Amino acid sequence: MPARAPRSLRTAGAVAGLAIAGLLAGCTAASGDGDQQSLTYAIEGANLSAGHMDPHSSQLDVSALVQRAVLDSLVAQDLDGSFQPWLAESWTISPDELQYEFTLREDVTFHDGEPFNADAVVANFEHVTAPETASAQAASMIGYSADGGSFLGAEAVDEFTVRFDFSKPYAPFLQALSTSQLGFYSPAVLDGKADELKTGGPGISVGTGPFVLSEYTPDQELVYTANPDYDWAPANAEHSGASDLDELVVRILPEPSVRAGALTSGEVQVAGNVTPSTVGSIGDGTTVNSVELPGLPYSLYLNQNNGVFADVKVRQAFQLGFDPQDAVDGIFFGQYPRAWSILGPTTPDSYDSSLEQRPSVDIDRANALLDEAGWTERDAEGYRTKDGERLSARWIAYTPIPDDRASLADVIQSDLKGIGFEIVREALEPAAYNEQYGPKTFDITDWGFSGVDADLLRSHLATDGFQNASGVSDPAIDTLLEDAVATSDPAERAALYTELQQWNAENVAIVPLYVPSMITAFSDSVTGLAFDLYGRPLFYGVQVQGS
Amino acid sequence: MRPDPPKRATPGAPVRWLLGRLGGLLLVVWGAATAGFLALTLIPGDPVEVMLGVQAQVSEQLKAQIRADWGLDDPPIARYLQYLGRLATGDLGESYQLRQPVSSVIGQQLPATLQLTALALAFALVLATIATLAARGRRSTRIVSLVELTAVSSPTFWTGLVLIAVFVFQVGWFPIAETGSLRALVLPALTLALPVAGVISQVLRQGLDAASARPFATTAIARGIGGGRLLLRHTLRHAAADSVTLVGYLVGTLIGGAVLVETVFARPGLGRVTLRAIIDRDLPVVLGIILLAAVTFALINLVVDVLYRWIDPRLRTGSVAT
Amino acid sequence: MTVPLGRTRLRPLRAGLAGAIAASAFLLVLVVAAVAPALLTGADPIQTQVLQALRAPSIEHPFGTDQTGRDVFARVVYGTRYSLAIGVLATTIAMTAGLLVGTLAGLAPRVIDGAISRVIEVLMSFPEFLLALLVIAILGPGPVSLVIAISLAAVPVYARVARVQTFTVRRSGYVRAALILGVPKWRSVLRHVVPNTLGPLLVMATIGFGTAIASAAGLSFLGLGPQPPTPGWGLILSEGRNFLGTAWWIAVFPGLVVTVTVISASVLGRFLRARGEGTAA
Repeated sequence: MPARAPRSLRTAGAVAGLAIAGLLAGCTAASGDGDQQSLTYAIEGANLSAGHMDPHSSQLDVSALVQRAVLDSLVAQDLDGSFQPWLAESWTISPDELQYEFTLREDVTFHDGEPFNADAVVANFEHVTAPETASAQAASMIGYSADGGSFLGAEAVDEFTVRFDFSKPYAPFLQALSTSQLGFYSPAVLDGKADELKTGGPGISVGTGPFVLSEYTPDQELVYTANPDYDWAPANAEHSGASDLDELVVRILPEPSVRAGALTSGEVQVAGNVTPSTVGSIGDGTTVNSVELPGLPYSLYLNQNNGVFADVKVRQAFQLGFDPQDAVDGIFFGQYPRAWSILGPTTPDSYDSSLEQRPSVDIDRANALLDEAGWTERDAEGYRTKDGERLSARWIAYTPIPDDRASLADVIQSDLKGIGFEIVREALEPAAYNEQYGPKTFDITDWGFSGVDADLLRSHLATDGFQNASGVSDPAIDTLLEDAVATSDPAERAALYTELQQWNAENVAIVPLYVPSMITAFSDSVTGLAFDLYGRPLFYGVQVQGS
Repeated sequence: MRPDPPKRATPGAPVRWLLGRLGGLLLVVWGAATAGFLALTLIPGDPVEVMLGVQAQVSEQLKAQIRADWGLDDPPIARYLQYLGRLATGDLGESYQLRQPVSSVIGQQLPATLQLTALALAFALVLATIATLAARGRRSTRIVSLVELTAVSSPTFWTGLVLIAVFVFQVGWFPIAETGSLRALVLPALTLALPVAGVISQVLRQGLDAASARPFATTAIARGIGGGRLLLRHTLRHAAADSVTLVGYLVGTLIGGAVLVETVFARPGLGRVTLRAIIDRDLPVVLGIILLAAVTFALINLVVDVLYRWIDPRLRTGSVAT
Repeated sequence: MTVPLGRTRLRPLRAGLAGAIAASAFLLVLVVAAVAPALLTGADPIQTQVLQALRAPSIEHPFGTDQTGRDVFARVVYGTRYSLAIGVLATTIAMTAGLLVGTLAGLAPRVIDGAISRVIEVLMSFPEFLLALLVIAILGPGPVSLVIAISLAAVPVYARVARVQTFTVRRSGYVRAALILGVPKWRSVLRHVVPNTLGPLLVMATIGFGTAIASAAGLSFLGLGPQPPTPGWGLILSEGRNFLGTAWWIAVFPGLVVTVTVISASVLGRFLRARGEGTAA
């Protein structure tokens, strides 16, 4: 037996020799050819590879964020909220607001050479509304619902004219059209490779955009190259023609500290999804752009169809039982404001600032409510019980859970223990999460949902809303949501949304926690970087100096 | 009647030996493939849904294709044979979540991990040599052995975090996320190298200790290259480490460590793919990685055995214990 | 992650004794922390105090505070219970299963022994950590899978040693003598083989315990173990990874404790082995 020892060492040597050869071969891929303009953008990118490359079907921000480079829209929304021509030259809305007719540009082609025309538009809308697509957001953004929404369909009037029909007025339509969720894929892809869109990749994620997806390594990077034929920029763009950037590399770096570090050391020129805890560590020579997101703040959804939250008193006690103010200020270093309502203050024509006057934390009141609800006994661990059952709620969250959110959850859990309310947390991989989310067998779950139009509340509060995690089912609320979406007068809409926000403050279906900002930091070598209303960088028109 | 000549004299023996070893290699790979297949069969739930993972909503057409690919409607034995047959032709199947062949999913990531492990191995050898040379006196031996113990005992990911905290954030010598640059490879490779260096150095030192008991060895080592060969050929035999365990340990630390190191340093590579495949339950990819690990290990063992026989003729008796 | 490296007898037993005593003392402190954490710290490991967040180590907070103001020292102390429990549980399961499988193989007819040995070899061809990862891939993440994964991954090592020991003991003079004297086979197994095998296995288990704790920390770090706010060491460590630039102490101290635990287990195990050999030889 002892005689066999030397073998190991020889192996080590042999493997090392082999491996070093491989190393030398593999390390030559450094950049450096002359005046190629290349920009690297670091994003968190979590779950992009888990079937979220298609904004038509995905509800994740990241999907819309990366595919904006490839997918153009009919119209563009300016920072002032107005709409500008893009792939549509002009449009008309019928007086009854039931018909939208768009005249398309005639010079647009997809990356694969297919022409962009009314048929292509119709094919894309058919893809969004097809049951196989199982669209989690895009379909609802245009007011489509399998069992009777507002959206009836798209129709090609002639080669370059397309008409959309609605059964009732649908105010957020133009806004929806301006997003990459309703961008256009080549009809050839929709025809043959529709079920590969969620996985995405070169030859699949094919649009008309200023960049062509040329390489995709899941969980690592997406490489886009400039589309040399591009000549159909939105009317509000400063730039025209093909992009000055020859190459746009989107690097997936899940760790916030790594994204910040990579920007500081110059490895990337733009760092996205910068977190409040790392923004301070970003070095000089950079600019930080922070856009407070419109839409639904990061919130907790209390499932009233399951367990203890069926009782509104328990939901109210839950909300009053912890102090979000100090927690949010501390954990987010004062970068994100605490949320008072289920709409962020920057959501147009809807925010109810009167909610900021409401008391937030009130331990005595919370305790009284729980007593009233019958949770009067205490068990050995100090938790309240009723009929021998512990006052306990199970909070499911999908991974990866950002550290700051985990910290916030720690605080909430720790505070609620003080009123005898147990919170059990489960971090679930996306697949396992979906298994529980479907049948709604949880008590609490969490997310934020950005959107420029307050109508996003419909998907969260309407009885059949696809993000209705709270299990709200109230005909009055459904009517309110329907009325709001059919109203185009800003003041009237604001009044309706105020009513909804106040209803939630009383009924506590959703507990808003903080209003996140999209923080992007970029090197001073980058010029011409624009941002959309969601704070997402737009790389068309960007130039990089001395790269 | 004269006795048969000793076996070692027959010219066919090495060939037979090699064939035997190759058979053993196949056995290991077959075992791994079977274990993987069993796991896949025993996993609860509809295998189609499991394999699709998070991407649950796909066309019936794709689901039918998966059923056909894996012969899910056939009896288990038929399915098993079919599966082995496909493996034999080098077909690892397809990741339905990524919609890519498993071989290309793994192939894309392999270079990054190879670079990392190669440099780690190089570092480990250098560090181990330094440690061995440093351990001369009694006191220095004690210090070196403590350092080795620490290196071997520290969790890889923690070492990585400490190195990042010191060399990236405090001193700023290294970038944090640059891929494809040698400079960014240094810290991850060092992290991976430390425990391996500790083990190699322990083995080396034990060999040296045993050797230093003999006067001829001491003088030989002092002369340099000859000493190294002497060390390899004569002295390490006295170290009791079982080479299979050691090789297994080295490969294991490197592959297992790569999962952690790649996560800590946010590097692309096989480790990250493995982790993602596990989290998303991308079973075809998991199976592919199991097979890759088994083949790697078996091959390395084979190469070691062949080299060893080549270097030490006395072992060419055809009766080396396995 | 320690590898059994055979007979290490580099210095006299006395020098090893000092190390073994220090190691035992540290492990004893861990046991105290696991059984009665309140003896070691007055701070609450779960209660958050946001206003105290990210304080550097001081007399009040020896390991500093984390991002929600919890005392890192208290979290490490209270986390001992989880980490130790996982280590002990996984090692016990692995050793018991290994003893069973190995002894059976050692006593069984050649064909069965051959089959078992092949399986052990195949399993040993996988790095322990990777094997644990794969088990989790099949079982799904969580504390129970974690224990199963770590123990399953370690079984082959124990089984191999148990098999070799059984072989040796079975062929030894006194067992043969007992058989000739008419002692039933199962009795000689119980009387001689198992106790003789148990000794070396226990020594291995001491080292294996350290390995198990390190593996558990690694898997928890990857997010495959217990969920927050359970203060397991691996979890605390992973919570600290994004504060390396601003608050290094959150990640560094728990890792230090893991390392010292592994070293202690290893030192103690080696000492026991050296002693065992000393008396047996």
